[in-house]
Amino acid sequence: MQKDTENRIIVEHVYKTFDVYLDKANSLKEKLLFWKRNRKETREVLKDINLTIKNGEAVALIGVNGSGKSTLLKLMTKIIYPNKGKITTNGKLTSLLELGAGFHPDFSGRENIYFNASIFGLTKKEIDKRLDQIIEFSELGSYIDNPVRTYSSGMYMRLAFSVAINVDADILLVDEILSVGDQHFQDKCLEKMKELKKEGKTMVFVTHSLGSAKELCDRAVWLHKGNIKMDGKTDEVIEEYLKETT
Amino acid sequence: MSIFKSLYDYRELLKTSVKKDVGGKYKHSFLGVLWSFVNPLLQIIVYAIIFPLIMRSNIEYYVVFMVCGLIPWNYFSTVINRASFTMIENGNILKKVYFPREILPLSVVTSETITFLISSIIIVGFVLGYGLGITINIVFYPILLFVQFVLLLGISLFVSSITVYFRDLQHFIGVLLQLFFYATPIVYSVESIPENFQWILKYNPMTYIIEGYRDIFYYQTMPEIGTLLIVLVIGILLCVTGYIVFNKLQKKFAEEL
Repeated sequence: MQKDTENRIIVEHVYKTFDVYLDKANSLKEKLLFWKRNRKETREVLKDINLTIKNGEAVALIGVNGSGKSTLLKLMTKIIYPNKGKITTNGKLTSLLELGAGFHPDFSGRENIYFNASIFGLTKKEIDKRLDQIIEFSELGSYIDNPVRTYSSGMYMRLAFSVAINVDADILLVDEILSVGDQHFQDKCLEKMKELKKEGKTMVFVTHSLGSAKELCDRAVWLHKGNIKMDGKTDEVIEEYLKETT
Repeated sequence: MSIFKSLYDYRELLKTSVKKDVGGKYKHSFLGVLWSFVNPLLQIIVYAIIFPLIMRSNIEYYVVFMVCGLIPWNYFSTVINRASFTMIENGNILKKVYFPREILPLSVVTSETITFLISSIIIVGFVLGYGLGITINIVFYPILLFVQFVLLLGISLFVSSITVYFRDLQHFIGVLLQLFFYATPIVYSVESIPENFQWILKYNPMTYIIEGYRDIFYYQTMPEIGTLLIVLVIGILLCVTGYIVFNKLQKKFAEEL
């Protein structure tokens, strides 16, 4: 397999459908007894999506609810798989879809950094190297050695975000999480994102906040009913998008 | 062989989830790790009173005989039970983060293996307590453990992925394990079973593993390497087919959970 670092994400002719069960037989018993019951509707969420994201690009995925943005993002992270088509990603990929995945309430913040970072595929050595940076970014200070269950929800999110942002991946997939903590911390996150962008990381955002999309991204992709309606410079796409939706 | 590479890349995840599992279980209880001794000990006391009463067996040192079977059995049944829950338990993470899904059943088997290693002290305790002594045959213990580990990993791959699609299979597995308990020579010896029922024990791979532990701790002889080898081959076959099934099913985990 040749390493293609020019194109970080290549989406080719991707189709994704979800089966929506109106009356789902979830157990073996029900499947045997009511085998006729499995009425389902197939909903096409993505239709023939083609998209190439180059190294160092920051792309915003915009669109109304149900347009398939989050589905596309999940497909890129390999949480779900397409029905048809192919998605190739090159380089280390981190998705900030869920903050604090794998946190265990009874362990200290420090231990949970290890749990959480290991889910992102970091080794012990790599985590050791980033530990101080993560703790500093979270601004938790001496609380870091308290069990996570004693944290306020803001502290919890701050710790989780600090881990996720310091994973040091080549590709960052972000789903509407820039609303963490107070204004001060939000600004800090935005700064960090810009910094990462300057370092040449590839980023894909799913967002409804057009303001931060404009601030961070140079390219926007507008999804509408499972199709790409427009793909281009952020300002132009957002302008068109606003015309249509308001 | 990309499976081995991705497991290697995520080795830290395996390590931390095992640590969380083994350490987290007793983090808040008063007696801590002691619970992993108290539970089986209570079970042993109950069985040691009941089974000799109803079976009138003339097995020498019956308690030691039973303990050699019961502790490995607990390891076996706990792994399968937990494997059937592990995907649903971790549904939240599965839906949000990508990592090799095989880590979950693997970490269940691994952390229970560590628990089994700890509770093996109970076996040794009884063997010494009854004055049977430890012989050189104990060198076969790691081999037995390895065979059982492979067998369990294979079964866990099946169980953990299929239960995502058939939730009530978990209850069925619980019942099945109870039946299996009596179809395995744990509280009785193979010889005490009427000839026309012995085929059940013969086709049960756990029979050979339990007999193996019994050989090294109770009879103090060498376990039958030949039969264990067959069990190992069965285990490897289960791992391979289990992985194929698991891999097919895991693509829709996030949608089914």
